[in-house]
Amino acid sequence: MPHLAALLRVARRLTLEPASAEDLVQETMLLAWRGFHSFQTGTNARAWLFRILFNAFHGGGRKRPLVAVCGSHAIHARLQEAVEISEALEVLPIEQRTVLLLCVVEGFTCREAAEILDLPIGTVMSRLSRARQELRKSLAPLAKQAYR
Amino acid sequence: MTDDQLDQRVRDAVLAESLDTTPLERSIRERIRRPLWPRRAVAIAAGIAIIIAGGLAYRAFFHPEAPPLSIAAARDHRREIVNGEPRRWLTKLSDIQSLAEKQGVPGSAIAALETTGYRLQRARLCFLKRQIFLHLVYTKGGEEFSVYLRPRGSDSPFDGEVREASVELENVAYFQTGRMTAVFVDERSRAQAAVFARAGARVL
Repeated sequence: MPHLAALLRVARRLTLEPASAEDLVQETMLLAWRGFHSFQTGTNARAWLFRILFNAFHGGGRKRPLVAVCGSHAIHARLQEAVEISEALEVLPIEQRTVLLLCVVEGFTCREAAEILDLPIGTVMSRLSRARQELRKSLAPLAKQAYR
Repeated sequence: MTDDQLDQRVRDAVLAESLDTTPLERSIRERIRRPLWPRRAVAIAAGIAIIIAGGLAYRAFFHPEAPPLSIAAARDHRREIVNGEPRRWLTKLSDIQSLAEKQGVPGSAIAALETTGYRLQRARLCFLKRQIFLHLVYTKGGEEFSVYLRPRGSDSPFDGEVREASVELENVAYFQTGRMTAVFVDERSRAQAAVFARAGARVL
């Protein structure tokens, strides 16, 4: 099933709960299956799936205050970095996190992300910029370590 | 840290997460295979329930439950006239009138029914709901009509209005006058049975 891993990866960062993320992806795929007639051949299927995912996420009342997730145990420095980046991502406002996940992790352009999220491209770009700023602040100690 | 460096670190961190999508994929495939059937089944069941409820409502409004006596008459008509069970019938008018008088049905009533345009063909006695009735067979236009008559007793199976009903394959019309209890049956047309019964109600 194509794009399932990407959808699940983003869903996990959106919901912050593995079980909710799986529910969200399942719902996304079922909606895609039932609404396949609305997909225009030749357009970006991946972007179409993400659009369904975000609509399902916001339509399902899943948007909620963010809670920082703690308790990850770092063993290896690289793992430590991954954990801290993940934690930094999780405390980002969801609007910024969403844009960052689409543009930075999933490789969508700002224009594609704007279409997926049904936002003006300027909003996407400003959210992406703020997301990077916030991440920089959160990861500053890590950055010092990395450059030491 | 440049944007590119930051993006690379974020990407590396997120993509380093190991994801096993196999169970999720399996459950999605299962749900895709079975989701529409329960909905369809519910829709079909609801449709059937609506049709049945509508049918019952229609029947209650337009085909009220026939009284037991009229049901018995309809079944007797089916057995004796439609299926033509071999029976002894009286065919002479004088014999029929004599039989009627013995049962308390005025002979004049039998003749009066003929004035409505129907011709008496034959008669015999029968039991309907454990009561003796005079079963008269009239014809008109090649169609046979059963008329069941008995003097009005203490019971009141019908009211004074001419009522109609469909009973199985038969059409019945029934009423009660001050003197007589009457059931008219025909298997072809409900309207015809009612027309004959209304004509009979005026002369009986």
